[in-house]
Amino acid sequence: MNSLIKLELIRALRNKKFLFFSVIYPAVLFLIIAGNADDTKIDGTGLTLATYMMVSMASFGALTAVLMGNSERIAKERESGWVRQLRLTPLPGRGYVLAKTAGAAVVSLPSIVVVFLAAAVIKDVRLDAWQWLALTGVIWAGSLVFAALGVAIGYLASGDAVRPITMIVYFGLSILGGLWMPSTTFPQFLQDIAKWLPTHAYAALGRAVEQSQAPHTTDIALLAVYFVLFAGGAAWLYRKDTLKA
Amino acid sequence: MDGMTTTAVPATSTAEVVGFDQVTKTYGTVRAVDGLSLRLHPGETVALLGPNGAGKSTTLDLLLGLKQPDAGTVSVFGTSPREAIVAGRVGAMLQSGGLMDDVTVAELVRLSCSLHPRPYKATDVMARAGIAQIADRKVNKLSGGQAQRVRFALATAGDSDLIILDEPTTGMDVSARQAFWSTMREQADQGRTVLFATHYLEEADAIADRVLVLHRGRLLADGTAAEIKARAGARRIAFDLEGAFDAAALRALPFLTGIDVSGQTVRIQSSDADATVHALYGLGVYPRNLEVAGLGLEQAFVAITEAEEAKQS
Repeated sequence: MNSLIKLELIRALRNKKFLFFSVIYPAVLFLIIAGNADDTKIDGTGLTLATYMMVSMASFGALTAVLMGNSERIAKERESGWVRQLRLTPLPGRGYVLAKTAGAAVVSLPSIVVVFLAAAVIKDVRLDAWQWLALTGVIWAGSLVFAALGVAIGYLASGDAVRPITMIVYFGLSILGGLWMPSTTFPQFLQDIAKWLPTHAYAALGRAVEQSQAPHTTDIALLAVYFVLFAGGAAWLYRKDTLKA
Repeated sequence: MDGMTTTAVPATSTAEVVGFDQVTKTYGTVRAVDGLSLRLHPGETVALLGPNGAGKSTTLDLLLGLKQPDAGTVSVFGTSPREAIVAGRVGAMLQSGGLMDDVTVAELVRLSCSLHPRPYKATDVMARAGIAQIADRKVNKLSGGQAQRVRFALATAGDSDLIILDEPTTGMDVSARQAFWSTMREQADQGRTVLFATHYLEEADAIADRVLVLHRGRLLADGTAAEIKARAGARRIAFDLEGAFDAAALRALPFLTGIDVSGQTVRIQSSDADATVHALYGLGVYPRNLEVAGLGLEQAFVAITEAEEAKQS
């Protein structure tokens, strides 16, 4: 299975469009949004816009890598018959999904780090060493929730449907979850929706680290529930697909 | 030569490679595989022959555990198909099996080798499959025939005992196809059991020592290529007759299994050409341009399936 993970990595790194979107794009977006920011604090967080958006965009980048990396490729490879061909090898069934997720996770790491670098070097964001490390760890680990979602979409949709579905989910979760702008700027009814979204809880994990706190239990619990939901859905859809073959 | 003999089973075979027992697979109202029972024995090279929709692909899917039978059992080396695959005993290429994009041929073959419990060296696998010279090419830039060879390499990446090939020469021109046959024969010569589905009848004739004819999900014939031909009427007799002749008398010739009279030309299929020709002269006619030839497997195949269609309607 390691060889499959290795090959998935090589492929991910060769795919320039995928790399651009998941590694460069979030950092660029961060610089655009935080471009003219001063040191005004965001309501109720004690964080500057640059610090606040750094976590948002790092989360967004990781989300891009794992969600896009899984959904579209799995759907495409189901269609091309590669998934079928792999089932003729001794590779265990879940090995394919694990390799895909591992491949995506390795791309998501640089996308997080590049946003951090842009924030630290260009926008002078300063944090303690432990905070940088904890942020990286928390955002990286949290992206697994969306990797599972990507797998579920990959087994749910096929052909022409997978891209629009992925895009709707991707932008919906990113924008409504407050990754592009603080959800505190939303009208009240949108804020009520936003706080139940996994992306909202996801960004909140990193923000808690920036505020020198432990991530909130409610956010972890919410993400855990979503993970179980997405992973369970993915497993169910995978099994259905296997029987249909 | 064309007389009925027992099915070609090597005398040494004791174990059973593949066993289908009363296997049925239904899609909606269509019975893709209908009460199929068959055995494959070690070292056999078996062609699975049938027109489109005969159930070949479904049969292979069942054999490989990609589909589950609605009724009956499928065993491979005495275990479930999946267990046999995990043990590395089965290598397979499917028509519907895709290849990974964005990687080179060599990378893909190396992956396949690393997944096999008893792998061969990737360079050897590529050389045998005849793809050494395209090792650095991207998989998505291959021609149809090259892609088939890569699929073959994936199926033969390790020391498997059973090789399954689904329409392996699809997309190849005639010379590429014949080159590929020798590649297939090498696998058989190494003592492996080879099962391949094909609609190229000459392919079955050229390589297989046993031919299974599948029609509407059922096994129509099982024997050597020669036996299949014999079953359909072993020989074809063609001649011209001048002037008026008694067609009814021709139809009454002994050992006749088929006749076609068009103008002055008569074509006869006979299970005993010598006796038929002898009786023909006995009719007092003077056949000109007399030809007696063996029936091609293709014609035999058409004859067998047509006879079956006639029985059904």
